[in-house]
Amino acid sequence: MSGTLTESGFTRTALANWLQTRQEPDWLRRARCEALDAYERLSWPDRKQEEWMRTDIRGFRIEEFGIPEPADADFALPPALLTAGVELGGRDIVVNSMPVRSELDSHWARQGVLFGSLDRLLPDHEELLRPHLGRAVRGDIDKFAALQAAFWSGGTLLYVPRGVVIDRPLHIFSAIAPGGVDLGRTLVVLEEGAEATLLAETAAGDDAAGGLHCGAIELLVGPQARLRYVNLQNWGKGVWHFAHQKAMVDRGGSLQWTIGALGSRLAKVNQHVALVGDGAEVQVNGAMFTEGRQHLSYHTLQHHQAASCRSDLLYKGALQDKSRIVWRGMIHVDRAAQKTDGYQRDDNLVLSDTARADSIPGLEILADDVRCTHGATIGRVDDELIFYCLTRGLTRKEASRMIVAGFFQQVFDRITIPSVREALGEAIGRRVREYQ
Amino acid sequence: MSGKPLQESTDFIRVCKVSDLPDPGRRVFEVGERFVVLFHVGGRFWALDDCCTHDDGPLGEGRLDGFVIECPRHGAKFDVRSGRVLAMPATRDIPAHQVKVDGDEVYIKLSEQ
Repeated sequence: MSGTLTESGFTRTALANWLQTRQEPDWLRRARCEALDAYERLSWPDRKQEEWMRTDIRGFRIEEFGIPEPADADFALPPALLTAGVELGGRDIVVNSMPVRSELDSHWARQGVLFGSLDRLLPDHEELLRPHLGRAVRGDIDKFAALQAAFWSGGTLLYVPRGVVIDRPLHIFSAIAPGGVDLGRTLVVLEEGAEATLLAETAAGDDAAGGLHCGAIELLVGPQARLRYVNLQNWGKGVWHFAHQKAMVDRGGSLQWTIGALGSRLAKVNQHVALVGDGAEVQVNGAMFTEGRQHLSYHTLQHHQAASCRSDLLYKGALQDKSRIVWRGMIHVDRAAQKTDGYQRDDNLVLSDTARADSIPGLEILADDVRCTHGATIGRVDDELIFYCLTRGLTRKEASRMIVAGFFQQVFDRITIPSVREALGEAIGRRVREYQ
Repeated sequence: MSGKPLQESTDFIRVCKVSDLPDPGRRVFEVGERFVVLFHVGGRFWALDDCCTHDDGPLGEGRLDGFVIECPRHGAKFDVRSGRVLAMPATRDIPAHQVKVDGDEVYIKLSEQ
């Protein structure tokens, strides 16, 4: 493993000792202590709770982890997938929740853009950030959110002032060394009329080694602002991944949020988009691929809080071996959210007899002038498709890859960043074995 | 600390003593990276995944009636000796694991299922 725990577990003493090593404003210290109160008060998830019925975390032992420690000096950063051929406007690299390097093109820095380690930028911009930090993901949602709010470190900030348009993608790369811990928090604030594209990806140094990520993502999209956000979860197969991720999109703002989920031993993610201002638009794309005994559990919420908003969610997952995907999606329309247009769909392609997908869409509609539709599919590969490919000279493996690629094409077509489309397609294609 | 690789166990792993588990009785053990419910019925031991094939229910918390275990969530029934499904809503058998008793010690070997 990397680093040696000076104190195991996430205790009050550990937090107090750790805070002594950090220069943080009083309000943030108080927020951490309140989150710790919540952490101690809240119970661990129970398998009797609907959200956790299909996700078994009995094997997860929090006492095996603690406040992140630096990776060993010889840790080699794994290659990034999303940036091939992309001219970046800036990058932020984090290992085990420790900032490694941040860069931002001076052109954007001169216009007031802030991008880089949240840890490092916060002390100099605390008055600017204070109203935003913790606004979307509160520290009392559940045990994991409380743990995150109390102990978060590292993380990334993107702040784009009013009217500033960043026309080159920014890149966040977070890695975990074997046995490491990442408690990163991402805060994105786009003021009115601002625009940005952010490519975030995670990776592990060793595909089989363990680790913990307990994270939070807050995307605050102001009026008429536009954000494209890509989040590729590509941890190693021994990593526990718990995350609360929420976007709030204001009047006339738009968000395209693309998720790729390939890694981790077990992932439990709550992805929440809140359309809080009239005319807001959100498109959510999800591409998931599991193998071995991986278990990915994604819970999405499209919350329409204002009138004339549009949300459009498409998730696609393919599973092989003994892996498992659970998706629970909800469109919630408040009484005030008339003229809502909401859509959600989740498709699953099961590539082995022993893989399993659970897909549970839902609608809760309190307004009376809305259009909301949803759908879910789970299916096997049609044997005739395989047979047809074989008759055309393809091997069984080539046929399987082609069919899986075709399955994902619908979601890839919605992704407007070519490097992301290609990276996801290649990463999934490499994992596909012969259909059984 | 947490760097256990994801791989199947190929060996028998000691889980408890014969005297630790009443007859009839059942208890859940973590074996490798899986949770397994060990049954002690009629003087013999059997082991199944602690996971109902219908909806992942915690089988080890169900009612044990002879050689039949009933999932506490929706009432699916399984034969503890083989994992064979006996009653809806489950339709698939539960993976069964080898059990060995050596003296007073009980061992489980995970199946590859």
